[in-house]
Amino acid sequence: MKKTLLALLMQVLALTASLAQGSGDIDFMRGIGKMYAVVFVIAALFIGIVIFLIRLDRKLTKLENQIEENE
Amino acid sequence: MKRSWWKILSVIIILYSFIAGLLVPLKPGIVSAGPQQWKSGQQAVVQTVGYNTFYTQSEGQIRAWLKFSDTLALAAEKIEVRNDRELNLQFALPAALPIPEKVAYFTLLIDNPVDGAHILPDAISVTGADSIPGDASAWLGNPIEKLHKKAGITYPYRNILAETIRNAYYHIPMWFAMILLFLGAVWSSIQYLRTRDQRYDLQALALTQVGILYGFLGLITGAIWARNTWGAYWSGDIKQNMTAIALLIYLAYLVLRNAFSDPDQRSRLAAVYNVFSFVAMIPLIFVIPRMYDSLHPGNGGNPALGGEDLDNTMRLVFYPAIIGWTLFGIWLAAVSFRISRLGEKVWENNPN
Repeated sequence: MKKTLLALLMQVLALTASLAQGSGDIDFMRGIGKMYAVVFVIAALFIGIVIFLIRLDRKLTKLENQIEENE
Repeated sequence: MKRSWWKILSVIIILYSFIAGLLVPLKPGIVSAGPQQWKSGQQAVVQTVGYNTFYTQSEGQIRAWLKFSDTLALAAEKIEVRNDRELNLQFALPAALPIPEKVAYFTLLIDNPVDGAHILPDAISVTGADSIPGDASAWLGNPIEKLHKKAGITYPYRNILAETIRNAYYHIPMWFAMILLFLGAVWSSIQYLRTRDQRYDLQALALTQVGILYGFLGLITGAIWARNTWGAYWSGDIKQNMTAIALLIYLAYLVLRNAFSDPDQRSRLAAVYNVFSFVAMIPLIFVIPRMYDSLHPGNGGNPALGGEDLDNTMRLVFYPAIIGWTLFGIWLAAVSFRISRLGEKVWENNPN
């Protein structure tokens, strides 16, 4: 399960990297304009929220297991 | 659903900040002008590169100046449009500089009806001849007047910042929201110490968790921004170091909680420590960085949240973003709080 997820993640990363490079010259918005920085900042926010979600998910799973045990 | 309106509101506001923050174009700007060094009396041909400019649409109506002050300036003799973003400006530099100095620095100002006026500060330096004293008269006859404004909604163009000015909508609200969440945690902690009601302790815990998340997101987004403007992810700037310390103090709050097995003792000490963390954070983030040199706006004498860095158009996105991220943080904290409360109940019913 973890391996497939990791492989999938790698695929997505490779795809986004090739998309980000585009074709030919880097246009001026992405070069001089530093639009990359804005994209990465938004991606960082999303990743942060996902990490928080994963923590909550784990806590809930633990709780569910405990309730099941009690029954 | 009725009681969840503020959650929906937070999502709508954050979506608005993403869409408006990314779609509105920047004002035109000048990226570079060269050669930068000239001697007085020369026939200077300066090549300029613009950003978001449309020079071909206003060919013949473009005007350019080398500006020394509001009254002292030199207009370009000839302007050749090479393409939408590149111009060749020809200046006949007078024999005398406008001031009795060896070198004078000039701001380049370009104006046209389509793009409006845009500038590059200290773009050109002119070295005077030793034999000729400074004389302002040759620089007086070209008043800068009837400048145009770019039509439509735009964000300011700032050199070095360029498009990253949009990060103001994503990086700064993290800190505002973090402070508000920590403030809520302090209030909950004090309520706990007053009432000894376990609810308040869990509430403080949840708010602190989300506050810490926002704080680290603020640090990371700040580091990405710094990489593209200051030149390094972490330059050991006093603002970066002090906020990192403040966050570590808060992280210790989470560690401290796990160190006690007795729930009452844990809650009591955690509440006291939470208040202490907030009191420690204020000077670390708001006072100390202001007393030292810092690259960060708002510190070391740099202006912040004003002037050209945050104009009224940007405020229309910036302030809602703070509200949106705060509400969203309260939502995250509420979910975390409800889970810990459930856990507490399960524990009470079956303490094994």
